[in-house]
Amino acid sequence: MLSMKNISKVFKTDLVETHALREFNLNVAEGEFVAVTGPSGSGKTTFLNIAGLLEGFTEGEYCLDGVNVSNLSDNKSAQIRNEKIGFIFQGFNLIPDLNLAENVEVPLRYRGVKSSERKRRVEAALEQVGLAARMKHLPTQLSGGQQQRVAIARALAGEPRFLLADEPTGNLDSLMARQVMELLENINQSGTTIIMVTHDAELARRAQRNIQIVDGQVCDFSMYQKADHSVVAELKKVADQKQAAELNQIVSGA
Amino acid sequence: MFLYYCDLAWRSIKKTPMLSLLMVLAISIGIGITITTLNVYKTMSYNPAGDRNDQVNSIQLWSQGLDTWDEFNTNMTFTDVSNLRNNNELAIKAASYRTGLAMQSDDETKAPVLRSVRVTDTDFFTIFDVPFLFGNRWNKSVDLQPAYQVVIGEQINNTFFDGKNSVGKTIYLNRKPYQVVGVIKDWNPKPKYYDPTNGAFNDAEHIFIPFSLSEQEEFDVWGNTSGWRFEPMLSYQDRLRSEKTWIQFWTLLETTEEKNQLQSWLTRYVEQQRSFGRFTDTAKTPAESAQISPVDKLLEDNNAVPSDNKILVGLSVLFLIVCLVNILGLLLTKFLKRAPEVGVRRAIGASRGQIFAQYMVEVGMIGFIGGIVGLLWAWGTLTLLHAEFNVDPSVTGLDSSMWFVTPLIAISTAALAGVYPAWVVCRTKPSVYLKAQ
Ligand SMILES: Nc1ncnc2c1ncn2[C@@H]1O[C@H](COP(=O)(O)OP(=O)(O)OP(=O)(O)O)[C@@H](O)[C@H]1O
Ligand SMILES: [Mg+2]
Repeated sequence: MLSMKNISKVFKTDLVETHALREFNLNVAEGEFVAVTGPSGSGKTTFLNIAGLLEGFTEGEYCLDGVNVSNLSDNKSAQIRNEKIGFIFQGFNLIPDLNLAENVEVPLRYRGVKSSERKRRVEAALEQVGLAARMKHLPTQLSGGQQQRVAIARALAGEPRFLLADEPTGNLDSLMARQVMELLENINQSGTTIIMVTHDAELARRAQRNIQIVDGQVCDFSMYQKADHSVVAELKKVADQKQAAELNQIVSGA
Repeated sequence: MFLYYCDLAWRSIKKTPMLSLLMVLAISIGIGITITTLNVYKTMSYNPAGDRNDQVNSIQLWSQGLDTWDEFNTNMTFTDVSNLRNNNELAIKAASYRTGLAMQSDDETKAPVLRSVRVTDTDFFTIFDVPFLFGNRWNKSVDLQPAYQVVIGEQINNTFFDGKNSVGKTIYLNRKPYQVVGVIKDWNPKPKYYDPTNGAFNDAEHIFIPFSLSEQEEFDVWGNTSGWRFEPMLSYQDRLRSEKTWIQFWTLLETTEEKNQLQSWLTRYVEQQRSFGRFTDTAKTPAESAQISPVDKLLEDNNAVPSDNKILVGLSVLFLIVCLVNILGLLLTKFLKRAPEVGVRRAIGASRGQIFAQYMVEVGMIGFIGGIVGLLWAWGTLTLLHAEFNVDPSVTGLDSSMWFVTPLIAISTAALAGVYPAWVVCRTKPSVYLKAQ
C-alpha cells in the first residue's frame, strides 16, 4: 500500500538546515493500523505530511498504492489527496463558516460528486460518527470531541483507502480520546488503512503495529513489543542517547 | 461548482460586512465617476449618421479674403449656396438655416407660440433620413417655385391638431398661411449634426419651410452669421448679396466617383468666381478652396466634443486605478486571513485552480455589487447635473448600453485587483497551517 525508501527531508532556512527525516524506510500493508510515536520534533508530522502528499521530500522514493508518487505535479497530488487519502488533524481544522454537513461535503465538492449522492454520503458519514442529528450546527457549537468526530466524518465521506491522523486525540480528554479511537478501529475494520501519530502510549498499544520515529528514522518495535519489553526499553534508551549525543554535538559545535 | 463558489463568496462577503462595504464603496465610486464621464463623452461623440456617415456630406468654401480666418467656415454665403442649388450635377442637395416665427392655427383656443423654424430644401428629409408620420415632404418643384407649404413635427401636431392627421390643414407663420404637407415623427438627433454651429446639443426644430421662400419672406437668421469685411446691411438684399456666411449646405454622395465629380465641379466653380473678383485668398489653390466634409469630420471640426471631456475621462480612469489599488490591498488582507481555511481545502484535495476560482468568484461578486452601486451613483450624478446645473438631458441621460458596460467594467476592474491576492492565496502550502489552529 505505502512504501517509502530512503526518504530524506531537509528544511533549509537562512540559518540552519534541519534534517527532519533521514533515510526513512517504511512499508505499510493494505488494511494495517499503524500507530506512530516518538519524541517531539522527531519528524512524525513531517512523515505524515509526506505520506499524505502535502509536502515533497528531498531524496528517496515513495510509492502509494503501487504508483510512484515521488515527483507529482501539484494538481495530480491534489487529485490523489482528494480521491485516496483522508486527513484527521490534531486541531480538527473544520471550516468555521460551514455547518457540519457542509464541512463533511467539502472533499465531495472538489470531486464533483452529484448533489443527491453527496447528500447520501454526508448523512452516512455523520451517522457513522453519531452526529447525524446535528448536521445544521456550526463547528463552534460542538465540543472538541464532537468536532474531531466531524473531522473524521469528513475524512470518511470521501471513502478514502488511506487515513492519516496526526495526534487526533491530542486535544481531547481520555474519555473522548477513547471514543475517537474506537471509531478509528471500526473504520480500520472495514478495510481502511490507517496511520496515526500519537503521544498516548495506551492508545498506541491498541494499534496492530507500532513504529517509533526517532531523530527522523524509523525504529520498528512491533516485532519485539509482545516478546520482550526490556529489549524495547533498551532500544529506546539507545535511541534517546543517540539523540542526546547529537544535541550535545550541536550545542558544542555552535 | 460555480454556484458553490458563489455561495462561498456570498458568505464571505456577509462575514466581513465592513470590509466588503469598503470595497464595494471604493469600486462603486471609481466606477460611478468613470461611467458618468464616459457617458457624457459617449453621447457627445455619438455619430447620428451611423453607417451613412460617408454619404452625408456638407460643403465648405474658402470664400474669405487673405489673412482673415484660418479655417474653413462651416456656413456659406447666399451667393454660393444659390449657385450650388442650381448645380444640376448634384441630384440630392439641401441648403438650410434656422429662423424663428410666430405660429398659430385656425383653432382660436390655441395661443400663438414663437418657434424655431428650419428653412430648407425638400431633400433635407432624404439626406437626414427623417421619418414621416403623415403625408410627405413638399414637392421638389417647390424648391424652384416657392409655395407656402410646411412640414411639422409630431409635438406641434399634437398641440395644434390633437395628434390627428393634419395634412392639408393650414397653419399661420408670422400671419401667413402655410399648408401642412407632412408630419414627421419625433426627430431630435444628438448631436444636432445638420447644424452643429448653433449649439451641437440643442433640440431639433419642429417646423420646416421651403428655402425658396427666403427672398420674398426675408426670414430673420436665428443662427451664426459671420463676416470678414465691413459690409453695410441696410436691407435683406444687402445680406443676400454680402460675403457673410450663414447657410449650411448638405448633399448625399453615394460613391467616391460622385464625390470626385463634385470636388472638380467645386474647383472649377472657385476658378470662375475668382474671375468675378471673389475668393481673393490666393494663398489657396482653387482645389484647396473647397471642402467636402462627411458628418464625422464636420462634428470634429466644430468641436462637438470639447477636449476637456477627453481629459475628464482620462482623469476618472486614473481615479478608478487608485480605487483598484486600494481594493487590492483590502483583498490581500482579507484573503491572507483565510489562509488556514485554504490550507484545509488544499489538504482535502482542492487544486490551486479551484482555490483560485473560488476567490476570483468572490472578487467578481464584489465587483458586480460595486458596479450596480456605481451605476446608481452615475445615475444620481447625472440627474444632479441635469437638475442643478441645467446640463442638457440628452447629455445626462444614461445611455442604455451603460447598463451592460458598467457591470462589465466593474467586474473586470475587481478581477484585475483580485488576481494577485487570489494567486497568493491559492499558492498557500497546505501543510503550513494545519499544525496550529
Ligand atoms: N517548515 C519547517 N521549516 C523548518 N523546519 C521544520 C519545518 N517543519 C518542521 N521542521 C523541523 O523538522 C523537525 C521535525 O518536525 P515535525 O513537525 O515533523 O516533528 P514532530 O515529530 O511532529 O513533533 P511533535 O511531536 O512536536 O509534533 C523539527 O526539528 C522541526 O523543527
Ligand atoms: Mg507533530
